Amino acid sequence: MSEMRNMVQLELRDVTHSFNGKVVLDIPHLSIEGGKIYGVVGPNGSGKTTLLSIMNLLIRPSTGQLFFEGSPVRYEEGNRLEFQRSMAMTLQTPYLFNTTVEANIAYGLRARGTPKRERAAAIEAALQQVGLRDFATRRARELSGGEMQLVSIARALVIDPKILFLDEPTANVDLRHIRQLEEVITAINGDRGTTIVLTTHNLSQAYRIAHHVFPFFEGRLVPSTMHNLFGGAIKASPDGPYFDTGRVRIWIPQDFSSSSSNHISVNPEDIIVSKEPFTSSARNRYEGIVTEVIERGGRVDLAINAGETFRVHITGYSLRRLGLTVGSRIYVTFKATSVHLL
Amino acid sequence: MGYLVEAVGDSVNLIFSLDREIYGIVGRSLVFALTATFLAALLGVPIGFLVGTRRFRGRSGLLTVMNTLMALPTVVIGLLAYGFFSRQAPLGFLDLLFSPSAVIIGEFILSLPIIANLTVSAVQAVDPRVILTAKTLGAGRVMMAWTILMEARFSLLAAIIAGFGRAISEVGSAMMLGGNIRFYTRTMTTAIALETSKGEFGFGLALGFFLLLVVFSVNIFLHLLQVRGRPH
Repeated sequence: MSEMRNMVQLELRDVTHSFNGKVVLDIPHLSIEGGKIYGVVGPNGSGKTTLLSIMNLLIRPSTGQLFFEGSPVRYEEGNRLEFQRSMAMTLQTPYLFNTTVEANIAYGLRARGTPKRERAAAIEAALQQVGLRDFATRRARELSGGEMQLVSIARALVIDPKILFLDEPTANVDLRHIRQLEEVITAINGDRGTTIVLTTHNLSQAYRIAHHVFPFFEGRLVPSTMHNLFGGAIKASPDGPYFDTGRVRIWIPQDFSSSSSNHISVNPEDIIVSKEPFTSSARNRYEGIVTEVIERGGRVDLAINAGETFRVHITGYSLRRLGLTVGSRIYVTFKATSVHLL
Repeated sequence: MGYLVEAVGDSVNLIFSLDREIYGIVGRSLVFALTATFLAALLGVPIGFLVGTRRFRGRSGLLTVMNTLMALPTVVIGLLAYGFFSRQAPLGFLDLLFSPSAVIIGEFILSLPIIANLTVSAVQAVDPRVILTAKTLGAGRVMMAWTILMEARFSLLAAIIAGFGRAISEVGSAMMLGGNIRFYTRTMTTAIALETSKGEFGFGLALGFFLLLVVFSVNIFLHLLQVRGRPH
């Protein structure tokens, strides 16, 4: 797969999908490049699974076109199968066939007519990759949730797909297996160069694993992450339009004034924290109290209660320099142009 | 009471003396029922699969007809088939009446709706993720159909066994189509009816034991299958 590294493998153009007359997915453009991990992050019910199902050709979009390695995707049985066999997908709640682990993993190989003698080595390698080397003869239905998810990944992996879609791979998995799964996903991409598109509602997880994170909300890719997502209404004032969350007033750019959107988000990276208020062009400034400090490697995630809870990302160096702990009084500042309408 | 005790004694004697006629009837009944069930499964499982997995115009009406056929009285089947197989009838030239083939055809007609209907239920009960999973792994139509059947295999076996139960225990059509000819078309059920009416209660009872044994064995096997097939 290395020859596809950094080249566009899958492209969606003007793709929409409607259900019962309602548009549930609207993707003007999305490119998936070879050899990378993509994380689609969004709350439950935002349409992540629909997006993955469209990308894996399980659903034909209502409008728009998909391109696989530059060729337009066709949905007639033979054509679809040809494209689909270059990819694989695991479900949020995986279904393992009522047989052995080995027979489950062999399924995709049998579908592709791989000779029996070649299957054994591929199955062993896939099991080894997911850390279940001795599981070949076990009954699939006797495994734990985490083990089932790992087997379903091995089953998808064994066919050496160009793109691997993982729908909420850690959603129904215990804590011990979450770490293992994250390591396995990263290793698959590192060792085999497989392009991976995974969905998750866990932003931290997406940032831990993925090279690119796509925030997803109500069937659309949105420019900002799901943190600092506020509901409310746009209102007008002599000083310009603002977004009223019911708790705080957030100044927004003038050109948002005619929008009827009732959700906004602010990227955690766009928020500045300071011990003292300072004069700047940024119109949004709130005083608050630090309620949570989580260190992740060199990065620190802060939660600050300033009427609404703001999530802010700073460096470990900034944390120490400002001497922040839970309970510290602090100012959060961001520009009106840092606000994104959803 | 003495009459009953005597009959039971006679039947035990017949069973343990390995009476050639008794064992011949049992063997013949099994061959007829197994052949009929095999043929009914060959046709009934695909019919049930298609009706269970496809949506088409008239499906609901077809399901009603299939359900009604399950309750068809065996003598009615015998009567209808007789109408086709008797000498002057459209299929009279086949010379099937009062032959083992006619008995098998009658049992086949009786088993078919049971196997087809229970197959519909079996495939409809399969987890919808089976199809989705098979698709994500690149299965074509044939492999997907095979996968659905394999995932429903315990219920399918139960369907086939239920069909066998119907075939082995029916008496009406076997009597009318087979003619109850000794050493040729006589089955356990027809023999029981005949021997009892002749006053050979012991003989009938011995065959009754065998019939019960077969039915019990089938049910125990069915129960074991269901236990094994239950999701963990």
